[in-house]
Order: sequence, then C-alpha cells, then structure tokens
Amino acid sequence: MISVTIKKGYDLNIEGKPSSDSEDLPKPEYVAVLPEKIPFIIPRLSAEKGDKVKIGSVLFEDKRHPEVKFLSPGGGEITDMEFGPRRIVKAIVIRLDETESFETFDSISESGLEKIGREELLQILLGRGVWQFIRELPFRDIARHDKIPPAIFVTSDDGEPFQPDPAVYLKGKKELFEFGIRILSKLAKTVHVVGAVRRPATTEELDGLITHTCKGPYPAGDAGVMIYHTKTASSENRSWYICAQDVLTIAQSLKSGVYSVERVMVLAGSASIERKHIRTRAGVPLEHLVRGRVKTGDVRYVVGGIFRGYTAPKESYMGFYETSLTLLPESREPQPFGFLSPGFTKPTYFRTFLSALSRSDLAMDCNLHGDVRACINCGSCAQVCPVDILPQFAFKCVLADEVEEFLEQGLLDCAECGLCTYLCPSKIEVCKILRDAKAKYYKEQG
Amino acid sequence: MKIIKNMFDSRRKHFVKGGKLERLYPIFEATETFFFFPAHGTQTGPHVRDNLDLKRFMSFVILALMPPFLFGIYNTGYQCHLASALSTDFISVFLRGIYIVLPLVIVSYGVGFFWEFVFAVVRKHPISEGFLVTGLLFPLTLPPTLPLWQAAVGISFGVVIGKEIFGGTGRNILNPALTGRAFIFFAYPVRMSGEVWTVISGKAVDTFSGATPLALAGLTAASDTVETFLAKSGLTFSKLFLGNYPGTVAGTSSLLCLIGAVILITVGIASCRIIIGGVLGMLVTGFALNLLATQASMPYLSLNPFYHLVMGGFAFGITYMATDPVSAPGMDTAKWIYGFAIGALTVLVRVFNPAYPEGVMLAILFMNIFAPLLDHFEIRLRLKRRIVNVG
Ligand code: SF4
Ligand code: SF4
Repeated sequence: MISVTIKKGYDLNIEGKPSSDSEDLPKPEYVAVLPEKIPFIIPRLSAEKGDKVKIGSVLFEDKRHPEVKFLSPGGGEITDMEFGPRRIVKAIVIRLDETESFETFDSISESGLEKIGREELLQILLGRGVWQFIRELPFRDIARHDKIPPAIFVTSDDGEPFQPDPAVYLKGKKELFEFGIRILSKLAKTVHVVGAVRRPATTEELDGLITHTCKGPYPAGDAGVMIYHTKTASSENRSWYICAQDVLTIAQSLKSGVYSVERVMVLAGSASIERKHIRTRAGVPLEHLVRGRVKTGDVRYVVGGIFRGYTAPKESYMGFYETSLTLLPESREPQPFGFLSPGFTKPTYFRTFLSALSRSDLAMDCNLHGDVRACINCGSCAQVCPVDILPQFAFKCVLADEVEEFLEQGLLDCAECGLCTYLCPSKIEVCKILRDAKAKYYKEQG
Repeated sequence: MKIIKNMFDSRRKHFVKGGKLERLYPIFEATETFFFFPAHGTQTGPHVRDNLDLKRFMSFVILALMPPFLFGIYNTGYQCHLASALSTDFISVFLRGIYIVLPLVIVSYGVGFFWEFVFAVVRKHPISEGFLVTGLLFPLTLPPTLPLWQAAVGISFGVVIGKEIFGGTGRNILNPALTGRAFIFFAYPVRMSGEVWTVISGKAVDTFSGATPLALAGLTAASDTVETFLAKSGLTFSKLFLGNYPGTVAGTSSLLCLIGAVILITVGIASCRIIIGGVLGMLVTGFALNLLATQASMPYLSLNPFYHLVMGGFAFGITYMATDPVSAPGMDTAKWIYGFAIGALTVLVRVFNPAYPEGVMLAILFMNIFAPLLDHFEIRLRLKRRIVNVG
C-alpha cells in the first residue's frame, strides 16, 4: 500500500455534517435525467415527450460520441422535457409506473468476465449506459474509450464534508466491489483504489483491495490531487478516475443484466433538520430526499457538495453524477459594522477572528462576506492549493489570455477544488476563472 | 441601525444602473459597506466563503498602527512642550500632540480619498479599502513640522503616481504612502533633512537642537564614536528604543512598532519573513561594516549594528511599509531576500551617504521595484519542478 500525505488543503469547520445513519426511501413518483448538468456532452435525444420507457431504455446519446448512451433511470412515461435557452435539454422527467418494466441484458458472471476481451467489454459498458461513470483527467470529461489509460483511480473520499461516507454504501458489498475492480482492470494497465486515512471504516470494509491511502485535509483523495502527488511522468496526466459508488453501479449492472439505479445519497447542511445517508435511486426529485425536513427561511439547495456543486431550484432532481444534497441558509441580513466584530462565531481560515481559537463546527451561510476587490497578492490561495499552483499568478495569466504561460503554471493540474476562491479576502472567483479556462482550452483543442 | 439601513435602501435607486447618480456608485458602495457587512450571496461554488474580507484585513493593519500612532501623538506634543519650555503633564502634552498631528491625518485622508473617489468614478471600479491604511501610514512618517499643503501634495503624488498610474490597487509596484513621502523628501529637502523636526510653540529654549538621531549620527566627528556622540545629545540606546526623542510622527518608537509587528504576525497579515529578514539584513550588514572600520575611517562604520535597528524609523518602515503585500513579493524565499535586502540597503545608504538619512525609505522603494523580479525567479525555479501537464 502506498501512502500519500497531502499537506496543503483545508478542512472547513462547517456545521451540519451528515451522520452515518441511513434510511430507505419509498419509491418516488417521478425521476429525471438532467443532461444540462453533465459536463461537456452534447445530448441528442432518442425519446420524446409522451414515450413509454423502461428502466434502461436509451433516452439520449452524446452527439460527440454517439456510442455513449444515457439510459432511463425509471420505467414509465416521459411526462416532461424541459428546454433551456438555445434548446439545451435541461431535464427529461419520467413518471414512474406502479410496477416498472426494465430492459434486460445478458448477465455476466465472475467466470464469464474472464472470457470477455477488452473490446467486447467496452461495448458492453457503453451499451449499458455505465461507461460514462469513468472520467478522464485533467478535464474530467467522459473517458475516451479508444485510448488505453495509464491508470484508473478509484476514489472514495476527498474530505468534502457532505459526500456519502464510503463505508455506508460499501457495507457488505465487498464482493461486488471486487468484481467492479476486475472489470476496470481489463481496461487499464493498473487500477489504484484510494482509501482515506480519515475514513478507517472504508479501509476495513475493503480490506486488501486498497492500493493507496491518502492523508490530509480536503481535497486529499480527489483523483486530480492523487495523480499530481503520485505521477512521475507527463504520460500519466490522462489517467481515468471513477467514484467507488459508481464502481458498484457498473458491477451491479453487469452482474444482474439490469441497469442499476440504486444510489446512496446524503442529505445534510445546517438548514436541514435531519442529516443522514439515504438509500434511494438515481434522479430522484430533491423534494423526495428532503421530505419537508428543512428549516424555515430562505434556503439554498446545493447539489453535489458545497465546493463543486451547483445551486438547484427545489423542484429539481438529483443529477447523473451527484449524490449529495446540502441545504444551506441563504445569506442573511447585512450586519452593521460587521468588519469590527470579534467574530467568535465567524469561521475563518485566517486568524483575524476569534473563532480561530477553536476548530469547532460553526454555521455558515451563502454570504460572500465582503465585496469583490483587486487581488492584493496576499498569497493565501497558494498556501492551500493542493496541487501547488500559484492561483494568484495563474488566474492573472488566464485573464491576460496567455495560454502558454498558464499551462506552464500548471493550470491543467487544478483539481477545481474551490479552496482558493473560498478564502480569497478579495472575493475573487479564482477557481471559476481557472475552471472555465481549462474547459475553454479543452474545447479549443477539440 | 435600522434607520441607517433604510436610508441606504431608499437612496440606492439613484446610484444603480439607470439611476441619475449612476456614476457615483463607487462612493455609495464604499459608504454603505462601511456601515454594513453586505449580504451579497455567492453565485457559484464554493457556496460558502471565508469571513475575512479586505475591510477586515485593512482594519487589522490600522489596529496594529494604533500603538505607534497614539505614542506618536504623545511624543510630538511632548517634544514640542519640552522645546518650548511648557508644562509636560500628560494631558496637555497629549492635547498638543492631537493639535499638531490630527490636521496632518485629516489632510492625508481628505486629499487621498478625494483622488480615490475621482479614479473610482472615472474608472468605474469600487473604492479599495487599501487607502484606509495608506492614508494613515503617510502622515505618520512625516515630520510634525511639515506644512499641511506639502502633506497634501505628497499624498496626491502617492495616490496618483504611486498607485493609480499603474492601474489602481493591486497593480501598483511601489508602496503609495512611501512614494508620497519620497516625493516630499526630494521636492522639499529642507523640511525633510531632519535638522529641526520639533514643533515649537512660542519661543524655543536655548539648549534646543531638535535634530534627529540620524542627522546627528551623520555629523559625528572622526575622533568620536557615534554612540558617544548620540549619548552626549541625550540619545541613549534605551531612549532610541522607547522613542521619546524628536522624529517623525510615529516612527520614533521601535518598541511600539515591535508590538505592532507582533499583532500583525499573530493575525497572519504581515509576513514574518520580511520583518525578520529585514532585521537580519541590517545586523549582518552592520557587523560586516564593523569589520571594515579602521580608526581613521568614518565613525559611522563602527556603529553598533543594534543602533541601526532603533534609528531613523527602520522599525516602522519594516513593520508597516515593507510588509504591504501588494508591493512586496509573494513568494516565500523572495520575501526573505526582499526583507534582508531592505535591511542591508538601509544600513549602506545611511553609512555611505549620510546626506540621505532616509535609508529605510529608499531601501524599501528600491526593493519594491525588484519585488516582481524576485518573484519571477522563484516562480521559474518552482515551475521547473512541475511535471508538465498540457493535457
Ligand atoms: S487552483 Fe484553486 S481550485 Fe485549483 S486546485 Fe488549486 S486551490 Fe483548488
Ligand atoms: S487569496 Fe485572493 S487576494 Fe490573496 S493572493 Fe490569492 S487571489 Fe490574490
């Protein structure tokens, strides 16, 4: 086992973290897929409003790579197709039948897997709508199946406070997970399974399967961070990664011959009344997860974690990749002379508030806590960047459109963790600037 | 509070886009955010943000400036009353100090903010809190005898040429407060030479000389050591350290600057690398010069290096001016070098060119110019260690 220690990064002392209890939810009335929230794809629909679909029917494919298919997470009728500006498909909503029917595929047994060649396996994964769980660094797009990657990283926990605890969804699933790892092993030279030191229960659960342990604050354990700290040559930059829960989905789909829609998600955040793990299915409505367990007042629904997630209206649904719903209080009333308060309850990375004397969890809302100003070169962003980028210099290169220069600064190593933005006292959207520049560069490369 | 808030809310419509005072929005914004922490929410992830903002950041610098500032007020009044043979009881001295110092501060803030507003409105950017610090730093480095109009010219130069010409806060290469001071130093040398920096109220006592330690040190005759020469004028080491001698408004007391430095380093706002580097640079250079000194050479060469630390506003400069993050380098090793060079240059300027007693000011400005270069080299070295990633 290789252990990797990551010194930079930062653990937020934010209130409202989930407990490891889990509950099972009854079937929702509707489920949906949100093509808009899947990075980079250009959806081409193969179904329309009013169609009857089964679990596993093809709903759309990625125009760039038509062999990548997105399947229906439910059996029933497509009752709604929401389009955004320029006819972007925002959501495909399916009303579930009482008893859902599903497409069936050949099930693949342990021994059957041995006989399947790489090419054939690729076709199976693509056809069953699970290929897209594997993504490729550094751009985090769906992996290109025509390439053999240097390695696949299986990630379980990067310290983001509101993601599901791997020990919860892996409990009793070691065999299935092992099957998943064997599937992945056929695709790449090596498969690295990353366990986090802060989650000892996962290591126990996966006894013997973990190849790397990582130690350190958020975002240690993220694929981008792991690769930055383990790579020895540029050729490793294009490694693939997948989340441990998705390994289970792939394994389950292949083993059972049915598109697997079970998911373990987390409902948490200080505006949530109960904070726990929830066993439910892909694409459920947010309201179904929340079930009224939300505090009164203005609440923001964040899907996919406080650092990388997005804000969604509460009528929305969980996305394809996301398994975390965080409810946060929207920003409060302006505070008179806020900049003079001693700040016992104001969480901060710095030492300018008395809260710095303790690390106990504190409530945080969506306030920007200041106004946008010019960068004062304080260097705090570089102190936390887990991949040793100097965000204050990198973002200026981006704004000046100096491509060579920002590549040299290591822009593509950026794990898009958001820490630089989190603590910038000038409230500059550093991470967004870098993330957008990365995506733009990727698209221009074609 | 409610009333003030309503006042802002009802006036806002005039300043936002389309309002008749739209162009003055930066002024509205600056005033409003002074009273209230704004309630702007985050637009993208991360959805929560740290509590520290620039206003808080700068408030701490101002807080750390309070010990030398308050002492400076006292000392200015004290020196004035001493030289004018007036009563030296605390209250009257302090009031006298306020009477002398406050106009300088008001002029500095008033004129400086005027320029800030002008540029903010013309360039349509928000007013930076950085000026809260610049506007206070500047008068504190002046001799209390400076006419107010010269202070006004100085701060104008500092803000306009030192900062706005470069594109405003964050882009300036030089520290604006020091730029302003340097301007006065070169434009009105008589006022700044350090011969007489004590305000006289009425008639000076006969024995009054009023010269600053640096001016005196430069005058030391070859047969004397600087230490004894200073001591003859009543300037012992401890007096220099404590600061109750004539000098710039707040630059005399090394002790209180030390307290300020401790505050800034504790809250993590000033870089201890720069400050410690500066002290080391000064001591090392001072000792090296001691080795060069022969009986016949200039007495300044053999000055005990610790004297350098407590003279000529070095403590003030290295604590509050050199650590300004915008004009200092951002990289860690570069900060050590930058600090060290400031200390070393200060000594060299003082010793080899006693006509320019302002060693620390020139050293900091000089190193401000080199800060981007130091950063550049360190970044290059750092990037060499990266494994190339071009996708
Ligand atoms: S640059 Fe910012 S977002 Fe990117 S890895 Fe560093 S801290 Fe995270
Ligand atoms: S944290 Fe913000 S202000 Fe500080 S150096 Fe980074 S970008 Fe600039």
